[in-house]
Amino acid sequence: MQPFALNYARPAAQLEVTVPYVYDSGLQLNVLPDGRLAATDFAVMRALGTTTSTAGSKTHFDD
Amino acid sequence: MTVLILTSEEDVTADMVVVRLHEAGVPVLRFDPADLTHGVALSGEYVHGVSRGHLSVAGRLVSMSGLRSVWVRRPGVPAARAADPSAWLSEESSQALYGMLRSTDARWMNHPDAATRARHKPWQLRLAQRSGLAVPATLITTFPQAARDFAERFPDLVVKPVSGAHPQEPPRAVPTSRVAPDADFAAVAYGPTLLQRRIAKRADIRLTVVGDRLHGARKAVAADADPDVVDVRFAESTEPWRPVEVPPRVGAAVRTYLHEAELAYGAFDFAEDADGIWWFLECNQSGQFGFIEMDTGQPIARSIAEWLAGEPRPAHAHANGTARTTS
Repeated sequence: MQPFALNYARPAAQLEVTVPYVYDSGLQLNVLPDGRLAATDFAVMRALGTTTSTAGSKTHFDD
Repeated sequence: MTVLILTSEEDVTADMVVVRLHEAGVPVLRFDPADLTHGVALSGEYVHGVSRGHLSVAGRLVSMSGLRSVWVRRPGVPAARAADPSAWLSEESSQALYGMLRSTDARWMNHPDAATRARHKPWQLRLAQRSGLAVPATLITTFPQAARDFAERFPDLVVKPVSGAHPQEPPRAVPTSRVAPDADFAAVAYGPTLLQRRIAKRADIRLTVVGDRLHGARKAVAADADPDVVDVRFAESTEPWRPVEVPPRVGAAVRTYLHEAELAYGAFDFAEDADGIWWFLECNQSGQFGFIEMDTGQPIARSIAEWLAGEPRPAHAHANGTARTTS
């Protein structure tokens, strides 16, 4: 029997995005291919939705 | 002294804070506990009445006694990426890592015990009431009749998960949703159900609190918005988040809330009604803040960096750095 709240569930959006940055363990920061820091490029971060309130919901309770 | 950040490598929101710490010249050690034994090493000894320990990550070696603060952002399950992972190894690694960190004088944002407690929504609702925040009428029940009675008293209801978690296998999202007036509540018996009086909101409020600093942001509800779309996270909107002044009573109440919860950080969600009242919905103890900073320009990452760069907590202080109340 399905709990009441699951009557309102919808398929989760599958965000198969490829991030354009890589982690630099020396800097301890993510870096774009042109060498700029990913955290300073808000356009990239907005496009990926990595800082939004639904990011991480799959593995964390806190939005 | 060093700021320790526990989070995943791909967490660019954490990057926003690391950049600020670098600018301030504050030493940082960042790693994901999932990488324990596979790129991350630890050691601690307790000999002749003295304890000392070390962490080693990518060529950096930091003493446990040299940690000024610990930021628990988005850590993975300890040792999840070890060469031969197992639930047993994760528990061993969790006990070793967090046990050693708990033994330090570092301040926590947020302490694991406080964080675990703070995730419980029923506990949040009660603390919000006690702190002086306006809380919508709410029922959490497995009694179908209790749900029916509640719906008679409050005909316009929403339903949301008690835990805030989304079910997997298959992956599904459970947004806060409006309940139809003729809803059949029989299925309430099959799982705790959170029903709440719907607030006819004119705006969503995100209040990010870092230590004593308040960063209020407001997203107005569009005039032509669908009243059945309740959850701002799943709503289509071109309206940006804008800075908003925090009413003094709300500011005092959220500070009381965080003090009682022993949290150094909290991202509060409110619904603002037509009278301008901010109705408490929840407090995310590790809520996202990057989307607010990008829209509003509020220096939340700087606030977090400055809190983390503060001095270690004095003796007998809470793990969040505030003084204990004596009675």
